[in-house]
Amino acid sequence: MKRLSADFWSGLALGGLGAYIIVTASRWEYLGQDGPGPGFFPLWYGIAMSALSLLLVVSSFSKSGKVDWSDAPRALATWAAFAAMCAAFKLIGFLPAFALLTFFIVAVMYRRPLVVAATVSVALAAGFYVLFPLALGVKLP
Amino acid sequence: MKKHLLFALLVGSSTAFAQSFTPTRPIELVVHTGPGGGSDVLARAMVIMLEKEKLLPVRAQVANKPGGGGVVAAAYLAEKKGETHTIGIFTGVWLTNPLTSNEAKVSLKDLTPIARLLLEPAVIAVKADAPYKTLADFVNAAKQKPGELKQSGGSITSRDNVVRQQLQKATGTRWQFISFPGGGERIAALLGGHVNMMVIEPNEAGEHIRAGNMRVLAQVNETRLSAFPNVPTLKEAGFNVTPVPQVRGVVAPPGIPRENVAYWEGVFSKLSQTESWKKYVADNQFENAYQGAAELTKFYEEFTGQMRGILQEAGVKTVR
Amino acid sequence: MEILSGLMQGFAVALQPMNLLWCFVGVVLGTVIGVMPGLGPPATIAMLLPLTFLMNPAAAMIMLAGIYYGAKYGGSTTSILLNVPGESASVATCIDGYQMARNGRAGAALGIAAIASFIAGTVGVLGLMLIAPPLARMSLAFSSPEYFALMALGLAMVVLLGGDSMVKALLATLVGLWLAGIGTDLFSQTSRFTFGRMELLSGIDFVVVAIGVFAIGEVLANMHERGGAPAIAVPKGLRNLLPTRQDLKDSRFAFANGSLVGFFIGVLPGAGSTIASFISYGIEKAVSRHPEKFGQGVVEGVAAPEGANNAETGGALIPMLTLGIPGSSTTAVLLAALVLWGFKPGPLFIPENPAMFWGLVASMYLGNVMLLVLNLPLVPVFAQVLRAPTYVLYPLVLGISVVGVYSTSSSLFDVWLLAGFGLGGYLMRKLDYPSAPLILGLVLGGAMERALRQSLMMSDGSLSILVARPVSAVMLSLALLILLVPLFGKFNAWRLKALK
Repeated sequence: MKRLSADFWSGLALGGLGAYIIVTASRWEYLGQDGPGPGFFPLWYGIAMSALSLLLVVSSFSKSGKVDWSDAPRALATWAAFAAMCAAFKLIGFLPAFALLTFFIVAVMYRRPLVVAATVSVALAAGFYVLFPLALGVKLP
Repeated sequence: MKKHLLFALLVGSSTAFAQSFTPTRPIELVVHTGPGGGSDVLARAMVIMLEKEKLLPVRAQVANKPGGGGVVAAAYLAEKKGETHTIGIFTGVWLTNPLTSNEAKVSLKDLTPIARLLLEPAVIAVKADAPYKTLADFVNAAKQKPGELKQSGGSITSRDNVVRQQLQKATGTRWQFISFPGGGERIAALLGGHVNMMVIEPNEAGEHIRAGNMRVLAQVNETRLSAFPNVPTLKEAGFNVTPVPQVRGVVAPPGIPRENVAYWEGVFSKLSQTESWKKYVADNQFENAYQGAAELTKFYEEFTGQMRGILQEAGVKTVR
Repeated sequence: MEILSGLMQGFAVALQPMNLLWCFVGVVLGTVIGVMPGLGPPATIAMLLPLTFLMNPAAAMIMLAGIYYGAKYGGSTTSILLNVPGESASVATCIDGYQMARNGRAGAALGIAAIASFIAGTVGVLGLMLIAPPLARMSLAFSSPEYFALMALGLAMVVLLGGDSMVKALLATLVGLWLAGIGTDLFSQTSRFTFGRMELLSGIDFVVVAIGVFAIGEVLANMHERGGAPAIAVPKGLRNLLPTRQDLKDSRFAFANGSLVGFFIGVLPGAGSTIASFISYGIEKAVSRHPEKFGQGVVEGVAAPEGANNAETGGALIPMLTLGIPGSSTTAVLLAALVLWGFKPGPLFIPENPAMFWGLVASMYLGNVMLLVLNLPLVPVFAQVLRAPTYVLYPLVLGISVVGVYSTSSSLFDVWLLAGFGLGGYLMRKLDYPSAPLILGLVLGGAMERALRQSLMMSDGSLSILVARPVSAVMLSLALLILLVPLFGKFNAWRLKALK
């Protein structure tokens, strides 16, 4: 049996979203006294989404494109670091969290020496501090 | 020795109680709109006036907390329990949101009411070349073609629709209500002839009337506004409708000490009596309607009860 | 001629040293604001209001207007260099602008953006000066059916932005429409798809999605390069850092396209610069001799949207000054400022305040010139940013994205949404889903649904209102044509293949 391609899975996911939209939208008013209700538009694009997803799933069986996932671990690790930074805002604020993220990216992702990583982190964080709260009065998280 | 200590403590704490509140750091003035929105403009004007009249020993800063039509700002204030240097400007939507929206968990009861400051009257306007010279003309036309005439306005829970609901009930007629997200679009719809009537703020209407584009049929207010001496109020025009007021006032986070409340009440009571405030109110054609904390609480109860009834009749789902 | 005398009066006001100074301050401030993602003209203008009380109203207006159109110049900078849209109107510029930067032509992109902005900005002011009152009256005839048709036309552009897989492009658009629907329904006040979270009650801010999908998605997708050397080659030599004569020649139609589309759409109170820039981009691609190159870095793909979002400023001022109706969030703040200063914006504003109006118009001509003179020399400077190694650039992008999003709403929830959309953007790239249709669906979805429902309310439920009115009928037919023609082409290709 042929391996299920990425299109198959994404088609399935979107089909699921389409189904969810249809179910939720059908709970709202479709056509009210004064005109279409809140359920009108979502129902229709939910149907369109489900139909097109089905089309995608079906066509995925005949296509042979392969997705190169080799960079996924690095990308996901970076994303995880980004998310961790966002979570850290409440605890330590933007500047330290951002510096940590930068350090991570430079040292781990790009394998630069620790000194370089530290310098870049501090320099960028300082830049943000000067530019935003100081010069422009923009609040940082 | 112990007796002296105890005595000192007693004196010290009673002095603390007798001491009134004075702010020592910048005041945060929360509004629920983005920059340029109604409450934001009022807040900025307020800040300017407070400074000019030297009513605050510290600076006041406007903090925009938009979202959910007031829900985010209300929740923000509720979170700041006990914070003595934060206040917010509330409007009618703060009072109606909890009635219709599940997510609007914070009502005025959960916060500390400080003062009611303004009432915003409105007028009913039609395009200048419309065949209606009085509100009765419009209503009669609606009677003959039920559901065909159209009114442009805000959302279903806005004052525009409330006026419509009240009029429809009082006269037994029906006309359509078309929501537009912005005041500009509502006016454009009327001037372009796509709708027949709208409820509009007096000073917005003023300019269009001067230019000859609009005609005002009636005033949504208890008494006649000075700018419209010849336009009847709803009651005068023969419609037994009590206008639901559109309010703006000041509110504070829950759990603040009594001296804090008294301080705020004092500041805003004085503000509402200054010349610059009166001029601002007159320029914008508002009504100066100061009410202190206690009266505001009573007003809030009445208003909410009234709105609940009206919304239910309008077929809007109320959740509280 | 009345206009000539008005203009003379205007220049007399605008050329006064104080007013010139404030104009300069305004445009510089505007450019800086525009470069910074998230921080926009409305918030800045609101913050400066107390200051304006100390100034003469004409000078204050000149400065605030300078911020307004200056920001449009700056918005393209981060879009081109970092794929971070500086403003919602700059998203369309990211599409080809960033690609040009990746191809080593950042300077040319920045330069063309500035030139297009200048030409379009000036055309916008010309329009404001010459045809404001009659155009305002005509724009009143535009109502919900026409808005719906306009949005439909904009969505039909999806087809042109689609890329290889039409199905995926359409799916992306539908997801965009769904995202647009999240929030409180205007008409019935029902909460839709808010999952019980109050932060979603007013919907998802477009800037969050755009920055997440474009900027953060881009960073994540580029993580496979372990090198860390500058990812983008920046050519040496000044000549390579500015647009060439060929570039200018290629952009001729784009300049006209952007100016006109931006200006006329700007006049409509319900449509803004984002829609204008996308429609202008779509038109440019539709009439191009090499449409398949769009999306890979063609100079017209930068000139058209950049021009459109600048001409929109001139257009948006028309309903504001002639009718007192705000057409965008910035004009809303400007109106509020006028009221605060004691003016009464409305149909009689221009006749009663000619010095103010003409002074403003004249200052806008001067402001656009100032901006061109300021921005062009800065282009090589900005292009050097790309010389930085990726391990400096990418954290910078991530940081700016967060600050940009947080500065608009002060909400950590939005920052989380940003992270989510960043991941989404990465996945879309991997799975070959085009992101421009998603953005387009998001931008147009809300307005389109509202316009359709309003139209049906106006016509008492009959769809015929959409074709009974001439303007909407024309636009809808155009939209249909745009949708059908490629399908026709594909059908033909399939037929030919079957015959073999």
